[in-house]
Amino acid sequence: MSPESADWVPVARLVDLGARDRALVHVNGTEIALFRVGERIYAIHNRCPHRSGPLVRGFLEGGPAIRCPMHGWRYDLTTGESDRPARATVYPVRVEGDEISVRL
Amino acid sequence: MELSRVDNLIADEYRFLVAERAGWSLVAGPQDLELVAHALRVLLHTHALGDFRDEYRALVACQHADGGWAPESAEPESTVWVSAFSALMLIRGNRVLAEDGLAASVRRAIDYFLAAQESDGRWVDPRWADLDTTSHPVSFFNVVLALDERHRRAEVEHAWRRGLGFILEHQTAEGGWHDANFHPSGVEITAHLIQDALVGDLVLGERVPGIRESCRKGLAKLRDWQAADGSWDDENVDHTMDCVRSSIVVTRILGDDRATTGAIERGLAWILANKNPRGWGDFPGLETNLERTCDGIDALCKYRAFRAVDPEAAVRLWVYVP
Repeated sequence: MSPESADWVPVARLVDLGARDRALVHVNGTEIALFRVGERIYAIHNRCPHRSGPLVRGFLEGGPAIRCPMHGWRYDLTTGESDRPARATVYPVRVEGDEISVRL
Repeated sequence: MELSRVDNLIADEYRFLVAERAGWSLVAGPQDLELVAHALRVLLHTHALGDFRDEYRALVACQHADGGWAPESAEPESTVWVSAFSALMLIRGNRVLAEDGLAASVRRAIDYFLAAQESDGRWVDPRWADLDTTSHPVSFFNVVLALDERHRRAEVEHAWRRGLGFILEHQTAEGGWHDANFHPSGVEITAHLIQDALVGDLVLGERVPGIRESCRKGLAKLRDWQAADGSWDDENVDHTMDCVRSSIVVTRILGDDRATTGAIERGLAWILANKNPRGWGDFPGLETNLERTCDGIDALCKYRAFRAVDPEAAVRLWVYVP
């Protein structure tokens, strides 16, 4: 195993995303929300920087972006940027076969 | 719902909140003021604020020179939403505490909101939707007017009316409110707007034409949005608590109706079924947080008043009736 591949942590399988195209996984105590938009998978820290709302329960929008279910703050799933005074952490995602991995 | 169960839960959760005081106490150090205001509201509704006089003084101490507060007590920049919540807790708390320092702080807050209002009647806060933000100074001014605070009275009335006008202009034909940027579902914002802004006018003498019908339509929309299990907004604990509380005050002022009473009972039953052993989280299964726990205690206190013989008991918890 190369040092690079050692950085990737397998967290879920595609089937785990279910009909709502999302899943919550825990990696070393960190909550990560996974979303499927089209053919791509995105990973973002699950807790909204505003009031810790669970983004995995949020509203998926074009962009792609996720809108927090608590107070509606919106985060770009590619960059973590928001139009509000906050930025969410996003993680690189790799899909090999059915396996989804993220790099912390 | 058995009232003895409600009373026991209020007592248990209040003890929990007091045991966690370091997590919300301004006397203990800098705090998130949104959480502090939630806690002070519990102290008001459990009639415990006399034991926490220092907390109200500490809130005055972190007020800025412009009369506002910041989301974090140690931050320098005032924002509208948290300033309105803080000012509301001070004017209400000072009905019991009767301190000159608190009264002066309330007057400075009035100055802040008069200065911060936009030309079209709205108030703006980068953290909240404009409609939601606007409802909070309007709610504060509802109480300012209900308690007959005289500071800059004519200007307050004018600003209050313009704020209400901004909200009414944006109500949809079916009765709800939406905000594409913050509240696509419309549930939370509708609950906030009718309880924190519109309904106060009915008690103040129905000075704004058409407001009774706006409240009735908003309440009906809330009922439409309730899920079969009693929750609102995809099992959102916060929004379900908002909808239950909003339905309580609106139906008490408009006059009881069986459909809303049923919605309140189902909503409260869902809230209790999805409670953690101590406190509440934001969604079923999530860890307890103090803000949601404060909301839970507040919802129980308002439900307790809703079940009282006196039909104005619940409305007094918003102080639209002094």
